[in-house]
Amino acid sequence: MKKTQTEIVVLGAGPGGYAAAFYAADRGKKVVLVEQEERLGGVCLHKGCIPSKALLHAAGLIAEAEDSGFRGIHFGKPRIDLDQMRAWKESILEKLSKGVTGLAQRRGVEVMTGRGYFEDSSTLRVETSGGQQFVSFEKAIVAAGSKASLPRAFDLGNPRIMTSNEALEVEDIPENLLIIGGGYIGLELGTVYAILGSRVIVAEALDSVLAGADPDLVRPVVRRAENLFGEIRVGAKVMKMATAGKQIRVEMELGGERREESYDRVLVAVGRTPNSENLGLENTGVTLDDKGFILVNDRQETADPKIYAIGDIAGGVLLAHKASKEARIAVEVIVGEESAFEDIIIPAVVFTDPEIAWCGLTEAEAREKGVAVQVAKFPWSASGRALSFDRTDGLTKLIIEPESERVLGVGIVGAGAGELISEGVLAIEMGATARDLAESVHPHPTLSETIAECAEAFYGTATHTYTRKAER
Amino acid sequence: MDVKLPRLGEGADSGTVAALFVKEGDQVKKDQPILELESEKAVATIPSPEAGTVTRIHVKEGDEVRVGQLILSLSGDGATHEPPPAKLMDLSVGEEEPAGSVEPPLPTKEPRIAGPEGAVLPPGIPPAASPSIRKLAREIGIDLSRVKGSERGGRIVMADIRRHIQYLQQLALRPEPAGGEALPRARPEPVSIDFSRWGSVRREKLTTLRRTISTKMGQAWSAVPHVTQFDEADITGLLALKKRYGARFSKKGGHLTLTTFVLGLLVGVLKRHPIFNASLDEPTGEIVYKEYIHIGIAVDTEQGLIVPVVRDVDRKSLLELSIELGRIAERTRERKISLEEMQGASFTLSNQGGIGSGHFTPIVNSPEVAILGIGRGAVKYVVRDRRVLKNVVRGSRAEKRMMLPVSLSYDHRIIDGADAARFMVDLVDSLEGYREADVKAGLR
Repeated sequence: MKKTQTEIVVLGAGPGGYAAAFYAADRGKKVVLVEQEERLGGVCLHKGCIPSKALLHAAGLIAEAEDSGFRGIHFGKPRIDLDQMRAWKESILEKLSKGVTGLAQRRGVEVMTGRGYFEDSSTLRVETSGGQQFVSFEKAIVAAGSKASLPRAFDLGNPRIMTSNEALEVEDIPENLLIIGGGYIGLELGTVYAILGSRVIVAEALDSVLAGADPDLVRPVVRRAENLFGEIRVGAKVMKMATAGKQIRVEMELGGERREESYDRVLVAVGRTPNSENLGLENTGVTLDDKGFILVNDRQETADPKIYAIGDIAGGVLLAHKASKEARIAVEVIVGEESAFEDIIIPAVVFTDPEIAWCGLTEAEAREKGVAVQVAKFPWSASGRALSFDRTDGLTKLIIEPESERVLGVGIVGAGAGELISEGVLAIEMGATARDLAESVHPHPTLSETIAECAEAFYGTATHTYTRKAER
Repeated sequence: MDVKLPRLGEGADSGTVAALFVKEGDQVKKDQPILELESEKAVATIPSPEAGTVTRIHVKEGDEVRVGQLILSLSGDGATHEPPPAKLMDLSVGEEEPAGSVEPPLPTKEPRIAGPEGAVLPPGIPPAASPSIRKLAREIGIDLSRVKGSERGGRIVMADIRRHIQYLQQLALRPEPAGGEALPRARPEPVSIDFSRWGSVRREKLTTLRRTISTKMGQAWSAVPHVTQFDEADITGLLALKKRYGARFSKKGGHLTLTTFVLGLLVGVLKRHPIFNASLDEPTGEIVYKEYIHIGIAVDTEQGLIVPVVRDVDRKSLLELSIELGRIAERTRERKISLEEMQGASFTLSNQGGIGSGHFTPIVNSPEVAILGIGRGAVKYVVRDRRVLKNVVRGSRAEKRMMLPVSLSYDHRIIDGADAARFMVDLVDSLEGYREADVKAGLR
């Protein structure tokens, strides 16, 4: 039994955990980073953001090639070597993970591999391959993340029923793939499999897919997905699944009708569950909400004065960059700085085709909060850059407070929207007005011009579209 | 003409209408009482500024009214008049209302120093400022919603923060506004407790007086480090004097009580221990010794504690004090005491003897620094001669004496325990050694 003394222990080495460990070390703290997996990086790096984007890139290449016939470019049918694709994807994860490990070493962060378990509010037991280690700490940051939910009714122990974890391994390309859940994970992975050749059926229980985004941003995605996917079913409830030889029999209720279908594989993408079980949190003062997320205040403090929580396990939006921001706040609070997660803009990006990205206030939120806003839109059909690569299925919009003309929200749908949204984040964080955006020169020909044109449209003076002057 | 609530006196800008003496249609004479206002610790009668007919009454009993608020309309010359101030005390530097204006001179709650004011934002929309400015504001504890942004769209930049800090500095140098409402109190928000969970309850609104007492006591208790010194005085002799001379005082319209005696002898004691007749001036770091002796007398009324002040106790004879005490107590119980009659005490006396009970720990009536509490005298066996105290076991005789419990609470910031002990010894000696000659002299 080994004992280690440290100032800060971080539990979980995802984008929240390693960011916290590194920042704490940069601020002069002695840090132990505990991760149960051999490789650092967490779900984001190994089973989420990064591998899915690699696969989406590969799939995008196929789609682009297929769509190029009308440009006078003809390719043959692509030959897909899944093993090689997987190895390529793995090599990316390997590289990134090694990078994280190297950064930990250079900062003097001690990495401990093994399951962490709180013995009490100041001791973490770590089950390493070399036996138990006891880490006694002054402060702990819990960043243990979340895992893909698999409702018990769907968990038949059949590998053909997958979560995003297995789907990202692309063991084969199923002929018929059912995706339960029309959120961003379902749609992103659906895009990959559809392009690789699967007939994809999406079953969403709610009335629309991508429920968090404004409908005008979702529309182009649905339009394209309807071509790409076999079907997108909304208001569809999967009642029952059963193994039927090499297939899964699925009972679904749709529009008051029951239907039974067989699928080669099923991807369950119905949300994520916090990893708050089996951490020994019951031995500390930490409290959980009814879904198992750790309750924190805006300083990332839990009910236990020695323990902080960040990232997915602390609830809110389950996004890597939100975890990284919370990591910095937790460390700042620990080192005694005034810091809080307050009025912070967390952008969201859905890597469908086309991409959707938004930040700040959405139209729906403005309505809910009763904030009077004016919305300025710029369709990409008026963008030369969008036309140049045949992707006019885009829209940029600004949500503006009409009195001060401040930009409160930005929404973009279109190819590369994820790369464009940062200007919106900066604008909102800086308290910029539509005038500020309109008067900043954007390079031509780029998609970023759509943001400036949108701002100009607010004043009725956009060059490339005609808007009747708003009565102001 | 419109009759508005006149200024009430120092520090008072509102009150509750306790009684209306007129009704619509009544003829009133100039200076005729029109209503009674319960404010702070006094019931003030508001006179009519003019003669005329009451055309309209704008308040009713129980209403909270502020200085300058319209109370009733009189038919008369038609002009708008403000009644003469109930008391001439300048509490409004440079705030004189221009003649003829119909705007009531409401004391402004907003700081009068010209300064920035935050933009009006829809709820849920944070003030416009860059992340670095927001971080700075958080670090130095500035609420950005109170900062006026100078940039496009009300965006707050560094220059605005600087301006705001200068403004706050100016504010800090200003004396605290009346009522002190502008500055936040470092006191946790009180929460309501649902006592009905444990049984049925009855709720009663605090009266203005009770609210005032509650605030004053809370402030004094939390601001003043209290120590209470106890002792007992043998007043057997004093009571004999009271009995012997009581009738002669009554004949001259006075009423010789224990309080009268204590009031009289406190003059000497306070003069010998001037720190007990002083105040602490925190901002200047000075002790203010008072050359006057004004003693507050705690009076138990139906509505609660009221403390009128007997002024210049050192210049009054025992007879004068006995007459004044009787009158002031009566007027207090009838709530006819004015606000200024309750201000300016340099020491307070609280006599519970009439009710009973013994020692207690009175709360210093800050900014005074000491208060004397007197309980009910009780007959006890005591060994009188302190010098033979050691010989008690050798058979000294105990005697039956009337012993008076005395309690002295003081502000330990400027008074030490030794001072208090000396004060107490002196006080007890004065009570025990009261001379008949002093009573005779006091009869004048």
